[in-house]
Amino acid sequence: MSYRRLAILFATLALIAAACAPGTTSGASGNPQASAGGASSTLVYYADVSDLISLDPAVAYEFSGVLLVHNVYETLVKFEGADLATIKPSLASSWDVKDSGAQWDITFKLKSGVKFASGNALTADDVVYSLQRVIKLNKSPAFLFTDIAQLKAENIKATDASTVVVSMPKTASPQGFLSILTFTVGGIVDSKDVKAKEAAGDSGSGYLLDHSSGSGPFAVDHWTKNSEVLLKANANYGGTKPALSGVLVKHVPESTNQQFALEKGDADVARNLSPQQIAALQGKPGVTTTSGNSLLLVYVGMNATVKPLDNVNVREALRIAVDYDGIVKDLLKGNAKKVQGIVPAGLAGYNDATPFQADVTKAKALLTQAGADKVTLELLVPTGPAPGGVAWADLAAKLQSDWAKIGVTVTIKQTTQAELLTSYRAQKGQLVMILWGPDFPDPDANVGPWTDYAAKSIAFRNAWDDKIALKGREAALITDTAKRATAYKEITDYVLHNGPYVVLYQPTELFGLRSNVKGFAWNPMGWLDFASITK
Amino acid sequence: MRFLGFLLRRIVGIAAVMIGVSVITFAISHVIPADPAAAALGDHATADQIAEFRSAYHLDRPVAEQYAIYAEGLLHGDLGRSIRTRRDVAADLADAFPATLELSFAALLVSLLVGLPLGVWSAVFRGRLPDLAVRLFALAGGSIPVFWLGLIVIGLGYYQLGWFPGGGRIDTFVAPPPTRTGLYVVDSAIAGDLDALRSSVLHLVLPALTLGYFSTAVIARMTRSSMVEVLGQDYMRTARAKGLRERIVIFRHGLRNALIPTVTIIGLTFGSLLSGAVLTETIFSWPGLGRYATASAVSLDFPAVMGVTLLAAVVYPLANLAVDIAYYWLDPRIQRG
Repeated sequence: MSYRRLAILFATLALIAAACAPGTTSGASGNPQASAGGASSTLVYYADVSDLISLDPAVAYEFSGVLLVHNVYETLVKFEGADLATIKPSLASSWDVKDSGAQWDITFKLKSGVKFASGNALTADDVVYSLQRVIKLNKSPAFLFTDIAQLKAENIKATDASTVVVSMPKTASPQGFLSILTFTVGGIVDSKDVKAKEAAGDSGSGYLLDHSSGSGPFAVDHWTKNSEVLLKANANYGGTKPALSGVLVKHVPESTNQQFALEKGDADVARNLSPQQIAALQGKPGVTTTSGNSLLLVYVGMNATVKPLDNVNVREALRIAVDYDGIVKDLLKGNAKKVQGIVPAGLAGYNDATPFQADVTKAKALLTQAGADKVTLELLVPTGPAPGGVAWADLAAKLQSDWAKIGVTVTIKQTTQAELLTSYRAQKGQLVMILWGPDFPDPDANVGPWTDYAAKSIAFRNAWDDKIALKGREAALITDTAKRATAYKEITDYVLHNGPYVVLYQPTELFGLRSNVKGFAWNPMGWLDFASITK
Repeated sequence: MRFLGFLLRRIVGIAAVMIGVSVITFAISHVIPADPAAAALGDHATADQIAEFRSAYHLDRPVAEQYAIYAEGLLHGDLGRSIRTRRDVAADLADAFPATLELSFAALLVSLLVGLPLGVWSAVFRGRLPDLAVRLFALAGGSIPVFWLGLIVIGLGYYQLGWFPGGGRIDTFVAPPPTRTGLYVVDSAIAGDLDALRSSVLHLVLPALTLGYFSTAVIARMTRSSMVEVLGQDYMRTARAKGLRERIVIFRHGLRNALIPTVTIIGLTFGSLLSGAVLTETIFSWPGLGRYATASAVSLDFPAVMGVTLLAAVVYPLANLAVDIAYYWLDPRIQRG
């Protein structure tokens, strides 16, 4: 008996040893196939992509999904590089906005000769199908069409094989809609291919969840859930052919692991390194670091329905008391920009005024003026890391100590983001610290939700102000760029001193790269053009 | 016949546990003061989308009715649809569970291969240096945080020495084997794919060592104490007096009798390996159940949380059942009753 068991034991050990022995060398050199196969021109991108739920342009609305969809589908119009003010042609070679009295009519002329990855030609029918599909599916990004642009499916029509007309109500902003169309929700799908894959009226969303049917520089090869997504270059792509043959996005949640893999050369890009890790990488052979802008704002909402936050002087005192420079320089190691207005740098309408910085005397005077000497408030804070790489809890502790200096006692309550949003949405917060990113690259994407309570977004959760809501709505509809800029300057100046927000900072994104990776340019919208990268 | 009856009683027991667990989990996940719609739809959702979401997941009904709907689905083998991944929970579990199962088997193998001999060795050299060393090793195993251990293991085995890969289940450019069991090692062996076999075994080493250290320590300690007890028994003295070789005395007469309490521990350990792999899975980018469970809980994905809990409610009793069957085999007295 025991001999038989011993024999099994030895056999098992021998098997393991046999399996391990030749691998010892291959493990050391990274991927054994890297030099032999197509892997040499595949960009290996390590990132925490736990937010990835769909690769369908009508559904994806998370950072990872948007990054991938952007490289797989093309849109009618686009922004080029970091310039988020000038709309450029893409699938549409030209467009025209006409005031037809009762409505706006936007006519798009399609570029000829565009083919999908399937080889099918792209026509006006594909555009109509794709845009209507967003409204029909009504998933996360659909509100951009239905609420912001106030579109209904029947407002999108093809007048011939290369012309599409979109009619919008006069209450919606044509400029805003063009900005929305640059986003992944405006991605055009191959209607012939997708229709063939429809199941039980799902408009093909089951298929497009983890397959692609677009005309972009890459196509989805496979998505192994919780592991990796592989994009392969699309042979039928009409633009400049990408230098990479593929992009492999590996789901690696632990940032130490990302750093190790980058240093070993197993990863070409490490997406989620902390400021400390980036600092540690300086001077390491074969590795370089880079940063990119984001359009996020980290802020504290002050619920003006709660006393004494209804008093504008109390709100101003809280804003003035915060040590913004300390947050940016010490807590974030410079990994953020000091922004105090409600529109982030990079968007049209950005107001660069930063009048507040830890003025204890003035803040105390304002509190006295408001007759608020003993102020006690609750600060809701999410768990985990805040954008920029600092823990939400550390930011909260910093605010608590800054506000204690002016005699304001703050109790910190930390909850999951979902729980926090539930309270915040129900107007039940007092002070709530959270982040905001615009849904489309237009000042209205911030000014609308931040000023207009009717948008039922963050203005609703904090305060009511009819006058500024109206001004925001009017500014959105201005088509003259200079006039629009003046209008947004007036609004942002007003909100800066009167609004219910303490805007803390605009975070920067950090990346670790292998030195041979070139052409890596992070777009503030949260994506990269993989097609312009070489390695 | 007796065995069949015993098996039947166990299966009825598992069903009862599942009903209880499903009621309790359902109740807990529905009294949390947070709205799953807020978690799923994000900060920018419109009132219409939230209402539609609530109706799609029956969140607008009373909790009792929601449970009835869920239980009815469950009886038809439908675990519902995940809020977070928007796939069927059953499909998600079918992806994640084999990964965790494979890792747990590997960790258990490590702890048996290391823990049993260490325990025996320690008992034989009781009170001397090897015993002290093993007891220190076991003490460390019970007290080192897995997260820290994982980073050390990966720092050494991958970053410094480069002997093993740093994470994932298989090499980036090695195709996973066709799915039969979902266990890559088994599947690639079935397919005769040596590249995949080697790659998946290599990928298992570091996470299995990390996850298996705690159970190695437990098994070593348990084996030591029961061996110490057995070694003092009269039949051991008899065996030695018969002139049997020391190895046979220790392994055939000693270990077999000492194994019974250890087997109990192994069963329990296996259950905890399955559910305790969260941190190991995170460090080693292992696409398993632990990470799925955490992600689901954080995003208030209650159908997924229910699915994971029910699966655990099945696996635990099954592991214990396996232990009881092992008793039958190990101890003839139990067979005769």
